[in-house]
Amino acid sequence: MNHKAKIIIIDDEEVVLDSCTQILEGRNYDVATAENGTVGLKLVEETNPDLVYIDLKMPGIPGLEVLEKIRDLDSTIVTVVITGYATVDSAVEAMKRGAYDFLPKPFTPDEFRLITKRGIERRKLMLEAIALRREKEMLRENFAAIVSHELKSPLGAIQQNLFAMSNELAGTLSESQSTRVERMKIRIDDLLKLINSWLRVYSVDINKIKENFTTIQIPSLISKAIEYVEPHAVRKDVSITPVIEDPLSPLEGDEGSLLEALVNIIGNAVKYSYTGSQVNVHASEKEGNIQISISDTGVGIPEDELPNVLSDFYRGKPGQTEESSHGIGLTISRRIIEAHSGTIFVASKPSKGTTFTITIPLMQKKE
Amino acid sequence: MTQQKRLLIIDDDPDFVEGIKSILDAAGYSVDVTYNPKTGLQALQEKTYDLLLLDIMMGRGAEGIMIARKLRKDTKLREMPVLIITGIREQMAFLFPGEPVHPRFVAVDELVEKPVEASLLLEKVSTLIGLAEARKVKSE
Repeated sequence: MNHKAKIIIIDDEEVVLDSCTQILEGRNYDVATAENGTVGLKLVEETNPDLVYIDLKMPGIPGLEVLEKIRDLDSTIVTVVITGYATVDSAVEAMKRGAYDFLPKPFTPDEFRLITKRGIERRKLMLEAIALRREKEMLRENFAAIVSHELKSPLGAIQQNLFAMSNELAGTLSESQSTRVERMKIRIDDLLKLINSWLRVYSVDINKIKENFTTIQIPSLISKAIEYVEPHAVRKDVSITPVIEDPLSPLEGDEGSLLEALVNIIGNAVKYSYTGSQVNVHASEKEGNIQISISDTGVGIPEDELPNVLSDFYRGKPGQTEESSHGIGLTISRRIIEAHSGTIFVASKPSKGTTFTITIPLMQKKE
Repeated sequence: MTQQKRLLIIDDDPDFVEGIKSILDAAGYSVDVTYNPKTGLQALQEKTYDLLLLDIMMGRGAEGIMIARKLRKDTKLREMPVLIITGIREQMAFLFPGEPVHPRFVAVDELVEKPVEASLLLEKVSTLIGLAEARKVKSE
């Protein structure tokens, strides 16, 4: 689209207005002029220009005020001040108040054309940046809906028919055929879980949980989390031992998401534990903070990978465990803990074990 | 002899519907199907069903919720149990901010996630119908 850039020149000297209009004539510009701030501002409001030249020294509304009013109206409109008394001070002052550039009088046609060209480019970039930001935001907001419908629905339909058919064909299928059907179900289930995890990371604004903080008793939170992980631990013959110091003040937070974080971390500890070993969960209160540490004596994390563990989408190297993971759990956990103004710290020694330490302040910082 | 139970499925994904219908058919239910909210509501007006299986995300958004709201206002249909089948448990929380993940649309409802295993589906269906009948007997 070849949009004609709109330029407004506000100056009380008619000769300036005339010459500027002439310089830009024949180019792809739409030039309008105003002889004072009042007329100029009205014109700006009506035409939504790309670039406005403002003379700093005019009768009526002073140039700096015109500049500020335009900025308040639409901060993407590029403003350039024309200054007759070419002092650096006035130019600096104007730029502090939002002017993009300044044009000292007298100026040559080339100078004027150059500044005009740069100003128009600036406006174009600003509008593009805004459009991109908006697009990104919309994409994030719609991601959940798009993904759930476009990816999950077909997978769900396939899985549903597998469920139905494996029921209907029970007794007809050979053992190896049944096994393959079961494998298909498992693979699709993994895929659905993966999509759900992505959705969780991208579409949930974890900071929103701050709006629903309630008082949480730490011991019951920990026992609930252990309850969730227990079946998995039993299967691996890993025992989970909680040590909860007394007294422990209640915490202000979002119970559901803190539970999720603990389940992720304890579950992770179990996952990377050796069969028959132990996972310790230790809760204490220190200097106005609740500290919960989860330690295992499992495979551990190599030193060079430690910094990545809590960053987005890290997962253990293949071969460390036969179980699948999507590397999202710890990221989510970190974000949940950070939404509680807390921190999570990891220490590990390969083949000795790993300790995750969560610290959450009892008094939430007011923002 | 107990009469054959009549079920209605409202869901806009025909492939998915096949997958649950065949499970329910095999279990001896009489199953009707509609693929959009409009014909679904028509069917509910024309026939009496023992249970509705309702998809939430249909058409241009959560049109299933619109149906649920209409059911809640209807004195007769209000008594019918509803099994909500949805692929988007997480989004439910967005649609009903501040409410528990499982919204109580109607007097008797339950929520299962897509896809649903045959045994779980059959268990939910028979429990919901059982509960509705028990309430009916009680109120008579």
